[in-house]
Amino acid sequence: MRTTIFLLLAATALAQKNPHAGDKDAIEAGRGTFRIFCAPCHGINADGGRGPDLTLGQYSVGNDDAAVFRVISNGAQGTEMPGFGERLEADIIWRLVSYVRSVSNKPAPVMKGDRAAGEKLFWGKGACGGCHRIGQRGGRMGPDLSHVGRQRSLAFLKEAVVTPNAYLTPGNYAITVTLRGGKKVTGVQRGYDGFSAQFLDASDTFHSYFTSDVVSIERRFESLMPDNYGKVLRPPELDDLLVYMVSLGRSTGGRTGE
Amino acid sequence: MRMLAMVLGAAIAVAAAADQKALRAAQSDAASWLMYGRNYSGWRYSESAQINASNVARLSPQWMFQTGINGKFETTPLVEGGLMYITGPTNHAYALDLATGRQMWHYYKPVPAGVNACCGQVNRGFAMLGERLYKVNLEATLVALDPKTGNTIWESKIDDFKKGYSATVAPLVAKNLVVVGIAGAEMGTRDFLDAFDADTGKKVWRFWTVPAPGEPGGETWGGDSWKRGGGSTWITGTYDPDLNLIYWGTGNPGPDMDGSVRPGDNLYTDSLLALDADTGKLKWHYQFTPHDVHDWDSTSDPVLLDVEHQGRKVKAVVMANRNGFYYVLDRATGKLLTAKPYTKVTWADAIGANGRPILIPGQDPTETGNKSCPGIGGGHNWQATTYSPQTALYYFTSTDGCQLYFKTHQEYVEGNWYQGSTTQGIPTEPSTGSVVAVRPATGEIAWKYPLVSSPTSGLLSTAGGLVFGGDREGYVFALDARSGKVLWKFQTGGVVIAPPVTYEFRGKQYVAVAAGETMITFALP
Repeated sequence: MRTTIFLLLAATALAQKNPHAGDKDAIEAGRGTFRIFCAPCHGINADGGRGPDLTLGQYSVGNDDAAVFRVISNGAQGTEMPGFGERLEADIIWRLVSYVRSVSNKPAPVMKGDRAAGEKLFWGKGACGGCHRIGQRGGRMGPDLSHVGRQRSLAFLKEAVVTPNAYLTPGNYAITVTLRGGKKVTGVQRGYDGFSAQFLDASDTFHSYFTSDVVSIERRFESLMPDNYGKVLRPPELDDLLVYMVSLGRSTGGRTGE
Repeated sequence: MRMLAMVLGAAIAVAAAADQKALRAAQSDAASWLMYGRNYSGWRYSESAQINASNVARLSPQWMFQTGINGKFETTPLVEGGLMYITGPTNHAYALDLATGRQMWHYYKPVPAGVNACCGQVNRGFAMLGERLYKVNLEATLVALDPKTGNTIWESKIDDFKKGYSATVAPLVAKNLVVVGIAGAEMGTRDFLDAFDADTGKKVWRFWTVPAPGEPGGETWGGDSWKRGGGSTWITGTYDPDLNLIYWGTGNPGPDMDGSVRPGDNLYTDSLLALDADTGKLKWHYQFTPHDVHDWDSTSDPVLLDVEHQGRKVKAVVMANRNGFYYVLDRATGKLLTAKPYTKVTWADAIGANGRPILIPGQDPTETGNKSCPGIGGGHNWQATTYSPQTALYYFTSTDGCQLYFKTHQEYVEGNWYQGSTTQGIPTEPSTGSVVAVRPATGEIAWKYPLVSSPTSGLLSTAGGLVFGGDREGYVFALDARSGKVLWKFQTGGVVIAPPVTYEFRGKQYVAVAAGETMITFALP
């Protein structure tokens, strides 16, 4: 019994130190594994997508190697991050940690702009809140942005604001139904199959139609978000907005100014 | 009297349980479904016509059996002697009463820790011979079960799961042999096809799908890459008792996307094999995708049928390959008769007269991602296909779209993922799908029924002029076999991954299919 406890403690102690820290071959091996298991959410270059940008080296779960190892093994509670401990051996996970470390030294980008001004733009001139929700405020047709600062990199967010179709969140497709009588109803997909479509419109109303009951159901693989923010917002305004967005869901509240 | 006749009838059915003769005559046994592909040719066609185009709209659920087992439910049910035999994920299996759907027994063997299955802890169904059921367990074993109790009669090791092997295939019974394939090409395994004695569970032969140096085909692998060469055999093959040949498709070479570490054609990956049933010796092979770098397994159903080719009748084997082409081969010789694309293909212009693809340059995976079509899943993947002699059409599903393919150097670690990188979808061009009906001799498309997303379920055709299928969104549907028009649909509430089957019980035709975690049967009111 005592031996068991001792062994467990030893294992825990061992598990906290990455045996491959900084090792070039391990980093390369970890990169191969990363691309298979992690890239679908964290991006092929680890700079974020559906999952957080890992290149900033700021993890909500803790910043040391042991914490990263733990999250890859067990998943992160309360997020979409699953655990890989049953599919990947510990040694493979340590190599993954080495790889993530090797790309996570990117300094947080220095952002010009003012968070408070950005927040004002979000709800005011930009009218972003008409479709996007932050906390308990805003529309529901577009993706919820409450934690977007943790989920997406600055470069990703900038591209998403200026060119909404550059990366389309899977499933967030535009649906337009032409009713008998000619009226058209448009919204963002919630369900879509061979026989029906369900969607939420800009006034947060749910719709559901059978294909057989309407003139047509058209689905477009594009965003309903306006694609003219690059023109509507002046460059400094865009900076303000981005500083605000990057701050969302971050405990630090984002770094602003020089 | 009537009661007595029924009892006698049942007793006779049991006495005449699926022996070798019954398996060869499986096609004409409307009451049963005795093997994965329904008959040895893999047709999945039933002569039952009680449910037909004129009444299928009234089809409704009869009973459901909920396994409560999480995971992908891919089973082809076997039906015999008033019972249905199904396998579930994670080494579960059941016998169900056809009248009520009630469970008669439950088999379960916990999956040992460390089994690394690429694509879910799935199982695709039983095989049967006489008073025995056969299934593989995920940890690469083959078990023989007593159909009355579910008790294990014997269990034989196929290979060591710690090397990355796993087993998901429905076995094929040929003569007194139980033939099983293996999975593991994503883990850098060297794969094979095995045959076991149906009585004793002793291994009778093994055919390595990747030859060693010095063996024929060994020269198609650079260095020692053959040791991790893949070539899995995870979908059930077919059998021609007259030619005494087993037809079995093989999977991708390993590592999937990094071809630089395995120069050469990489035989016999992405191939169709014709093996002597008694000895496992290779009669012929045909390789669909030499030196594959897109993970285009050629494991889909090799279906045996006769075609008219240049004015003469040829015993053929057809395959809708994952690489986007439909192929017709002479099944006695392996000679290519026809190849025709059925979906968007950007990697080859055509298949040349010599049987080799005429490649289009610039289609290989790259470090930064390179677009090619079809995507990693195909084309047609593993989902069961069906041939209807009534319409003389061959039906299969297809994913229609493209993907970005990434190549990354990866070190091999035994038992671990060895894929040489990954693929990504293109957000603004999501793949869609279709049910495709082709004229089997030419590959000419008769019709396509569009699916909104990549297909998941297999197909069934019947003499009622129907094709049954299902989709990712949870629908089971019936199509007019001649036109592809939808005649009936039912929302099951769970993804339909398994192929539907049909059988007659107490004079009534049923259609059964697994959806989500549930087995559902349908009949007319």
